[in-house]
Amino acid sequence: MSTYALEVENLVKVYGGRRSLFGPRNEPVRAVDGLSFQVPRGAIFGLLGPNGAGKTTLLKILSTLLAPTSGQARIEGFDVVAQPLEVRRSICMVLQETAVELFLSVRDNFLTFAKFHGLDGQLAAKRAADAIALFDLGAEAERKVQDLSGGYKRRVQVAKVFMVDTPVLFLDEFSTGMDPILKRAVMDSLRKEAARGRTIVLTTQILSEAEELCDDILILDKGRQIARGDLNALKLLTKSVSEIVITFDELPQGIERVIAALQPWQSKIAGSTVELVLKTEEAQALDAVSALAKMGRVLRVEIGGASLEDIFVELTKKS
Amino acid sequence: MPAISAILYREGKIRATNMIFVFWDFFYPLCYLLVFGVGMSAALGAPVSIPGVNYNSFFLAGVLGMASFGIASNSSWSFFMDRDNGIFYEMLTYPMSRAEYLLGKVAFNLFIAVSQALITLGLGAWLLGIRLRLDFLPLLFVSVIVGTAGWFFFYTIFALRIRRNDVFNGVTSVLYFVFLLASSMFYPIDPLPRGLRTVALCNPITWEVDVLRYATIGYGHPPKLALEAAAFTVFAAICFAIAVRSLHKE
Repeated sequence: MSTYALEVENLVKVYGGRRSLFGPRNEPVRAVDGLSFQVPRGAIFGLLGPNGAGKTTLLKILSTLLAPTSGQARIEGFDVVAQPLEVRRSICMVLQETAVELFLSVRDNFLTFAKFHGLDGQLAAKRAADAIALFDLGAEAERKVQDLSGGYKRRVQVAKVFMVDTPVLFLDEFSTGMDPILKRAVMDSLRKEAARGRTIVLTTQILSEAEELCDDILILDKGRQIARGDLNALKLLTKSVSEIVITFDELPQGIERVIAALQPWQSKIAGSTVELVLKTEEAQALDAVSALAKMGRVLRVEIGGASLEDIFVELTKKS
Repeated sequence: MPAISAILYREGKIRATNMIFVFWDFFYPLCYLLVFGVGMSAALGAPVSIPGVNYNSFFLAGVLGMASFGIASNSSWSFFMDRDNGIFYEMLTYPMSRAEYLLGKVAFNLFIAVSQALITLGLGAWLLGIRLRLDFLPLLFVSVIVGTAGWFFFYTIFALRIRRNDVFNGVTSVLYFVFLLASSMFYPIDPLPRGLRTVALCNPITWEVDVLRYATIGYGHPPKLALEAAAFTVFAAICFAIAVRSLHKE
């Protein structure tokens, strides 16, 4: 048996180019363009990329919702095209769009989901009760989902993946519509699931989320891989980016001119705090700090490497 | 089997927790018979030129055929609703094959159709004095099952291939108009103008309703009915194959 939970080889997905029933002919688009990668078991793997990068298409192929145009993908050793049923037995999916049974109560949503995944009555009831507790849905448990707010619907959808023991979880922008406290609880639970050996593949637009959760990150653009690795490896790709934060006791006069002369990549002044992102080597970044520090009384200075957001912007711009 | 039983469980839960669904599912054809059938009979006297057959008896098969068509139409709407709710795509990632998904859905529809038929036949005979051919009951239930399955697969093709509600609305309205009116559902087709009669003869609803009419009141010519039954079975099988193919493309 392979040591990888996911194996992808030269995967290609081309949309369009054919006339659909009652629809116009579309120009072909290569949504996934020759991707190859592997994900070891128990990893939290992040798929990042701008809108239209191919993340959702990739997840749809991996979850058997879409057939690839060419190439291969295997989940737990099962081919997504040749062995779709085995793949579906190995996965659980949170779609980007809200997906709930509107006409059923919250509890019945969980029980129905459990039934599809082969859990018997008692175990299903216990897992449903656990999910209701974890996602703080006790007061809503007997209400029909159509009467709940969008945030609660999303809770119901995400809670389901914690009811079953499938080895691979796919989460497409799972935190959409979640409040910060719940998001934190879900992220903790995801870490626990990964520690139990489940492989988690997630896409997100919130880069701090990926920075906090993911052991391994793949950045996509226009269906192609533009970077891959853990956060430290990705930082090395953009080592010339530095983030500087300086807080003065009072914002010095004329500091805007000095900042402009440094030609920052990004800059922000909030109160007496100046935040800069410089695309420069470390020594020059220190010179910049020194120049700014001479302008007033400094209360705090922070110099850091690029954040995932900086890396993401840098790499997607380059691509 | 676990996947099919899970779908039956889901569909049953959705229906059982909504009384409007329950009423509509079980009493719709009976209501049609009691309102439209009785109304036509009273207003026009005996509009059917078949000796010994009143309109209520004649229309009973039509209403059963209309019910199988209606169940399929409503069920195809449920694909749209599930797609709008997103649950349709999530369900396609559950551990079941596409064929199991369709078979589970059709199995539930068959349960509804057979229940509807039992209620309609029982109350139709009691309230309207329709004399049923009880010896043909097995044929009647086979016809209801094959008919409902055929129309379910037929509608599923459109529900899966059409993405927009307005287009789907337009298509189903045309289907309703053509299939229901150019058929033997409401009237015998022999007296119809030649063009309309030809369309009706090629209409699978006519094939289904003719068999149902024979199975309910014994009216019809068995050799022709055998041909119609075979044609409808082929139609249903082709629709199933195309529906599974359409689902694979989702």
